[in-house]
Amino acid sequence: MERVKERAKVLEIKDLRVSFHTRRGVFKALRGVDLELYKGEVLGLAGESGSGKSTLGLAIMGLLPRNARVESGEVLLDGSKDVLKMLRDYGSRDVKFDPRKNEKLIKRLNKELREVRGRALAMVFQEPLTSLNPVLQVGYQIAEAVYYHDPMRLVRRAISRNRCTQADLRDLMTTLKTKGEEALIEEVEKRNLRGLEEQILSIWRRQDIHEAKKEKLILSLDKHKLDSKDRLGISIYLRGLQRVPVLGRLAKDALIKEGYRLAVEILTYLGIPHPEKVVRMYPHELSGGMRQRVVIGIAIVNNPEIVIMDEPTSALDVTIQAQILELVSSLKASSNRSFIFISHDLSVLAEVSDRIAIMYAGKIAEVGPVKVIFEEPQHPYTKMLMDAIPTMDKTELKAIPGSVPDMRSPPKGCSFSNRCPFVMPKCKEMEPPMVEVSEGHKVACFLVGERK
Amino acid sequence: MISIKLWVYVLRRILILIPTLIGLTLLVFVLVHIQGNNLILAEYINPRLTGQARELEIQRLTQEFHLDQPVYVQYFYWLGQVLTGNLGYTNTPIYSGPVTTAITLFLPNTVVLSLFAALLIWLIGIPLGVFSAVNRDSPADQGIRVFSFTLYSMPIYLIAIALILLLGVYLNVLPFSGEVSPQMVAGLSWFRDGISYPTHVLLIDAILHGDYAVAWNAFLHLIMPSLTLALAVMAGIIRILRASMLEVLEQDYIRLARAKGVPERVVNNLHARRNAMLPVVTSFGYTVAGLLGGVVVVESVFDFPGIGYWTTQALLNNDIGGIMASTLLFGIVLVLTTLILDLVYAVVDPRIRY
Repeated sequence: MERVKERAKVLEIKDLRVSFHTRRGVFKALRGVDLELYKGEVLGLAGESGSGKSTLGLAIMGLLPRNARVESGEVLLDGSKDVLKMLRDYGSRDVKFDPRKNEKLIKRLNKELREVRGRALAMVFQEPLTSLNPVLQVGYQIAEAVYYHDPMRLVRRAISRNRCTQADLRDLMTTLKTKGEEALIEEVEKRNLRGLEEQILSIWRRQDIHEAKKEKLILSLDKHKLDSKDRLGISIYLRGLQRVPVLGRLAKDALIKEGYRLAVEILTYLGIPHPEKVVRMYPHELSGGMRQRVVIGIAIVNNPEIVIMDEPTSALDVTIQAQILELVSSLKASSNRSFIFISHDLSVLAEVSDRIAIMYAGKIAEVGPVKVIFEEPQHPYTKMLMDAIPTMDKTELKAIPGSVPDMRSPPKGCSFSNRCPFVMPKCKEMEPPMVEVSEGHKVACFLVGERK
Repeated sequence: MISIKLWVYVLRRILILIPTLIGLTLLVFVLVHIQGNNLILAEYINPRLTGQARELEIQRLTQEFHLDQPVYVQYFYWLGQVLTGNLGYTNTPIYSGPVTTAITLFLPNTVVLSLFAALLIWLIGIPLGVFSAVNRDSPADQGIRVFSFTLYSMPIYLIAIALILLLGVYLNVLPFSGEVSPQMVAGLSWFRDGISYPTHVLLIDAILHGDYAVAWNAFLHLIMPSLTLALAVMAGIIRILRASMLEVLEQDYIRLARAKGVPERVVNNLHARRNAMLPVVTSFGYTVAGLLGGVVVVESVFDFPGIGYWTTQALLNNDIGGIMASTLLFGIVLVLTTLILDLVYAVVDPRIRY
């Protein structure tokens, strides 16, 4: 637990309140959420449908729909950037809420957040079947994410590969084998071949092929030279002419073509067979699991600090689900990224998370390290959830009686009071505050406060 | 692999066209011949002949057109002629002579007119539809909706008259009759009897002969008819495009495009528009059908010597050759358009299996 505290916060959510204005009334989706995300951890976010977990994910990305009113609260990226400021300034004002005005602000927000989205913050959505654009090739959809954030990366890749010689590659190969990856990066810098190291390493780190094959692939990198059209496109880009109508098209084509090569590397990394063919396919030609990998590829291609995964496995069958979970675990292990993993399935969360937050009716009921949550849950809701997980030795599943309160008029006190077996009179009167029971383990329940 | 499949698909589509075209010719033939032989005789007989000579002429024509045979036999004789390129004769105030020559004289003008209209639709209609959806409920969107709905409810001749009154009469900035001002072409060697040479399109011929003043004049004469056509077609396109854009903008993949930081301009003009255009392409078959009808009206209103103008003249003068040929021509254009649209659709939507 000590370690968790030491880590830097990459994301902080303070008292976030969001409501949806619909024809059937105002639904309070988030009612004061406080949450932190630390560097390099996976935070599991669990809750029933309608508990506001997906809304929370969208709010962090600033991708709320036009009828969502941000009543209060902050989403702080890296401790300073306030993502939702613009929407909150309007939403917290005491005037009649007009979705059209909100939409205008969302449009401005889209412009403002463009640089952040996909680069610092990325998201994987629930439905892999509808998340990819049906009329664009898979490779383009990955390449584009790099093109609009870090075009110079594509230029460096193309130029360094074009410039390197067989001798360079042999030297680099020896450095890599004798001195390791750090030394390789230094050596590449020295030879002024930046951009080549990621291409070498993406082959070197592959686990599906034999060492000799990897070496052969790396040594043949210099055979993939640029053709004259690509060279023209890249030189147009380097001269800053990418905004000129026809020339810009050539520049984009050349860089996107390099992006396809990068997409092949990413898809290989994600375990997709025949990636060279897959990048030229359209989404409808891929299975659900493959599409979800592509979406994950789009999310991680720019090495973002934070990846939000909104039920990435819910639409997939169990074997694919296991593969995707394995993939998330290996992504976590191989980088210093932070993940927010949203799911209604506690067994899935147990597998991937470092910490778990339990949401109920738009609030965090309990948050803590995964072991603590599973072994000594404190909140009655969490306890009942644990009892509802099916296992082999249970003869009967205990469902939680009652249902989630109507979010148009949530109860005055604790929102779980109508279903809680330990309900006390004051639960109906006041909202229980968050109490820290042990290091990093917080619970919002009067029972916990009583005992202390 | 895919391209071979595509060629097989194209070939299959072309084979399917054959029965369609046979049906078309049958319809055209029956529609005319249901009225009896007199109409055909009236077309070809010299009105000055009387008595014996007239009888002989009737006999000769009956022989030539096989009018004494049953209708279905006549049909095959006629079809044989059509397939060998003989479409008969036309006799109208604007042109008398073989139908095939009439088509080479009038069709190029109509093609140029339609291309201008298509250009205007592409440059004005599509951006307006996209803009309208992206800026939903803004005053500009409301304006575009009123504009397109008004045009959508107006018959095409009303649009033409409104434009004539506005641009031609009150503002007096554009000409609205014929393909060129007569005084401009008087005495030109390449312009005789209202026909320009060699392409028969005045605008192109003038440029070929280096007569840019005439070319400019011809261009000005093109604006109003093509604008009328464009406005009539645009109205529907704007409405369909706006609706489908609004639907597409709500899709998950648009949210993902935003989530990966693609600029709004690209989200709207690539990610959303390419999907939103699919219903527009589908509806384009109907649009072309409307356009063909529109050409007939527009060319008549503006006295523009195209295929539509000739068709109107043929109809007014009971010119059997002209009526049959133009009906056939319009039918073929429509059938070919649907074929091309199917192919375009297979290219723009990768999900279409062929």
